Amino acid sequence: MLSIDECMSKQMKTFKYNLEEFASKHKQEIHKSSQFRVQFQEMCATIGVDPLASGKGFCWQSQRLLEMLGVGDFYHKLGLQIIEVCLALKHLHGGERVHHQGRGKSAQDVSQDDLVRAIKKLKAMENGFGVISVGSSYLVQSVPAELNMDHTVVLQLAEKKGYISVSEIRESLKWERERVCHVLEHLLKEGLAWLDSQASGEPQYWLPALFSELTSLDVTPEETNQMTP
Amino acid sequence: MSFEWPWQYNFPPFFTLQPNVDTRQKQLAAWCSLALSYCRHHKLYTLGIMEVQECPVFNHKNIDRKLSTEAILIVFEELRKKGNLEWLDKNKTQCLVMWRRPEEWGKLIYQWVSRSAMVNSCNTFPPEFHGLEEWMLIRSLQALQTDGKAEVITMDDGKGVKFF
Repeated sequence: MLSIDECMSKQMKTFKYNLEEFASKHKQEIHKSSQFRVQFQEMCATIGVDPLASGKGFCWQSQRLLEMLGVGDFYHKLGLQIIEVCLALKHLHGGERVHHQGRGKSAQDVSQDDLVRAIKKLKAMENGFGVISVGSSYLVQSVPAELNMDHTVVLQLAEKKGYISVSEIRESLKWERERVCHVLEHLLKEGLAWLDSQASGEPQYWLPALFSELTSLDVTPEETNQMTP
Repeated sequence: MSFEWPWQYNFPPFFTLQPNVDTRQKQLAAWCSLALSYCRHHKLYTLGIMEVQECPVFNHKNIDRKLSTEAILIVFEELRKKGNLEWLDKNKTQCLVMWRRPEEWGKLIYQWVSRSAMVNSCNTFPPEFHGLEEWMLIRSLQALQTDGKAEVITMDDGKGVKFF
């Protein structure tokens, strides 16, 4: 378990990966939208991330992190955008140092809060991030989990209510029963999901990581809109 | 002071015995902790398996979830292994719950007695430990006796204890 401070600097490092593969995948978008780049350059400065710091290579965890960041949610976008900017600026500005805007108190508060929320959202994917509130502070649990795209997609579905069932997955994704069960078995095995066999109708699979989030402060759509630059 | 329920109590799957072994271990640990704190809060020392099933701890009506008898017995077996529970009968219908083990009680009693400077004299059971059931108290004193710190004496009007 790491303290929130230790984890936040770890997350900073996570966001500063050297992602050659990612660059080649998204090169066109990055080239196209200079406005996008400038906007997120500003966001980087606000967050206090140095987009030109070089990462230490590319590990499988970051790849999974990237896979999971492609969700229509502000905090997932936040992580993705930071990585995109890192790459964009690195590749297109040839190593020029970015001038950080002065950070006012409110900007600082927002960025810390944003990072905590971003981590909380990422914990839904349980890819090495899990924020557990302990009294008035947080502990971050670094537990790597073996997750592929199927698992991720199901986790995303479960995010809405904090739980999911076989038929809900089948209805949403049109998968065969075997495929659904295979994913749910894996989530149980990884300890990401707990079985509720007393639910009416069919068993439900609950994500404890999402449960404590549901009962504590969550981010409303209005808040999300306010925070999007 | 009202009893504070842990977050798991409101989590529906908490009442389903988890199929995954690691998850089940966490679940049972949480159940043991909850059962003991509940008993401590309400000063419960003996439990009957029949009433226990209807007890709010194991039967959470608000979320319409209850722990099955099988699961309750598994939780109780965990408690027994940790020294916090003892069956009174072979059929496992009644049990003693030691949310504080005899040794722990013994220590408390001895501390109280030492503080009260009652050492080296005979005394009847201290009133401060009101609510502590006799069987538990006797075990605690026996634990002290084993430690050489006390001696339980049978007198005409009951039992007494001498502290060293």
